[in-house]
Amino acid sequence: MPENMSISVNGQSQVPPGFRFHPTEEELLQYYLRKKVSYEKIDLDVIRDVDLNKLEPWDIQERCKIGTTPQNDWYFFSHKDKKYPTGTRTNRATAAGFWKATGRDKVIYSNCRRIGMRKTLVFYKGRAPHGQKSDWIMHEYRLDDNIVETNVSNAMGEGTQEEGWVVCRIFKKKNHHKTLDSPISSSLTAETRNLMFSSSNEGALEQILEYMGRNCKEDSEANNGTRFLRPIETAISSGYPDSFMKLPSLESPNSTSSQNCYQPMMTGNEGSITNQLSGDPNSVYHNDSGLTNWAALDRLVASQLNGQTETSRQLACFNDHNMAYCSPTDHHDLQLPALRSSSISSGRSYHGTHQDYNSEIDLWSFTRSSSSSLSSSDPLCHVVNASV
Amino acid sequence: MGDNNVNLPPGFRFYPTDEELVVHFLQRKAALLPCHPDVIPDLDLYPYDPWELNGKALAEGNQWYFYSRRTQNRNTSNGYWKPMGIDEPVVNSSSKKVGMKKYFLFYIGEGPAGIKTNWIMQEYRLSDCDSSSSRSSKRRAHSKIDHSKWVVCRVYERSSDDDDDGTELSCLDEVFLSLDDLDEISLPN
Repeated sequence: MPENMSISVNGQSQVPPGFRFHPTEEELLQYYLRKKVSYEKIDLDVIRDVDLNKLEPWDIQERCKIGTTPQNDWYFFSHKDKKYPTGTRTNRATAAGFWKATGRDKVIYSNCRRIGMRKTLVFYKGRAPHGQKSDWIMHEYRLDDNIVETNVSNAMGEGTQEEGWVVCRIFKKKNHHKTLDSPISSSLTAETRNLMFSSSNEGALEQILEYMGRNCKEDSEANNGTRFLRPIETAISSGYPDSFMKLPSLESPNSTSSQNCYQPMMTGNEGSITNQLSGDPNSVYHNDSGLTNWAALDRLVASQLNGQTETSRQLACFNDHNMAYCSPTDHHDLQLPALRSSSISSGRSYHGTHQDYNSEIDLWSFTRSSSSSLSSSDPLCHVVNASV
Repeated sequence: MGDNNVNLPPGFRFYPTDEELVVHFLQRKAALLPCHPDVIPDLDLYPYDPWELNGKALAEGNQWYFYSRRTQNRNTSNGYWKPMGIDEPVVNSSSKKVGMKKYFLFYIGEGPAGIKTNWIMQEYRLSDCDSSSSRSSKRRAHSKIDHSKWVVCRVYERSSDDDDDGTELSCLDEVFLSLDDLDEISLPN
């Protein structure tokens, strides 16, 4: 029977009914991309090469069909070689639009070992800066063979690996929980819906804001720290999205400054530093449900905004359980360094709160310009900010 | 057992659509046609607790697939399956109803005082109209097993784990995406 099971993308035979190409991120990187970069033959031509500048997402969808079964996502190899004339950034413009990176890159682990990075991009129709955002999303995976553990800027995944083969997955953002595979009729209860689709949805930002608002208020009552929270509360209570602009930008305004922020002090700890800085700190929440993910995000956002003991506990937890961030279940891309570095500009105003809250460690100890106050017993002493 | 007899490269998994389960697997089973690939085992009345399915049913990820006879008695050695009251039609690509999908929840203990678990079963059955043709030859159907009484089941443990396999946007990606809308300057990156 196995001879009937072979597949061929362009040939006559096809994937047997019920089977789908649904690789894990690990398979994409460790099997497919690794073979690709080492010019090894890949048995079946499942993942094709695509010139990202020549094909629109809807063309890729056509070109990267596997068999005749319905697909929700499409896979291809792409070679990053074209740059914008003005810099080092990869040119991902097509005739009809361009791919724009969003968020922060996510570290991909395999058996507790870092193997690569994932970049998320969105397709915009038209030309920057007037592009119109589409529902097309791309995850671009790159191998990370030579992690220079002493080079933290590398670990941040910035400014490196801008050449060579990557493996990509494109899909259309689901807007109303509609999926190709399991159309859920309206007869389903909300509970069933949730258990079947626990992933994020359109209401994500609203949910975050709601949680942020609630938590900020709680914190302000508890700590009497209203002077630091007022801008946030105002922003939230006066409505979304315009007032959201008043929040500190989550995007790092300057990637070089964020790289400079992390210089290992204790050379013996480089491995763990890399993990701490580049790893997803939220993997400690590996048992969390979708709901508590929000709570986790909530806590992190809140601690970012008022830098207090909650954070110290979380950070201490990282130090106590080194294995925690080896968990492959990264629930979301929330990266502590990303959040922290994004607030360098606003960080100064929080320095005062450090004393106010009387906490031995806080998130903002990352941003303090002087390392002298950090004793060697401080679990965070190997990370200081040199640039602020 | 499992997909071991299916020689596919890494990354291929048994993720059938509802339509495929009904049209390809259940209809062929009921019609005594060979299934290629013949990956779903037949557990007959399957008196197994859901956690006993491993090694018996086709396992893919956290889901188990098997054929069963249709029955009202959904008791196992340690509990029972109770209908969740959700019945939804399964339609094919031309929107024709080909089957029904029924949800069950597993309870430990004896009904009705059993303890809820997170185990869920989706039972797919053929539409009743499919068996109408066999009614014309009632006598023959009587003497033989009525194969339209087969169901195909998918069992999984409800998990609140939001495992990010990359096929959806993470929560934070969504946030960043929303923040991108507010960017005045959007440069291709």
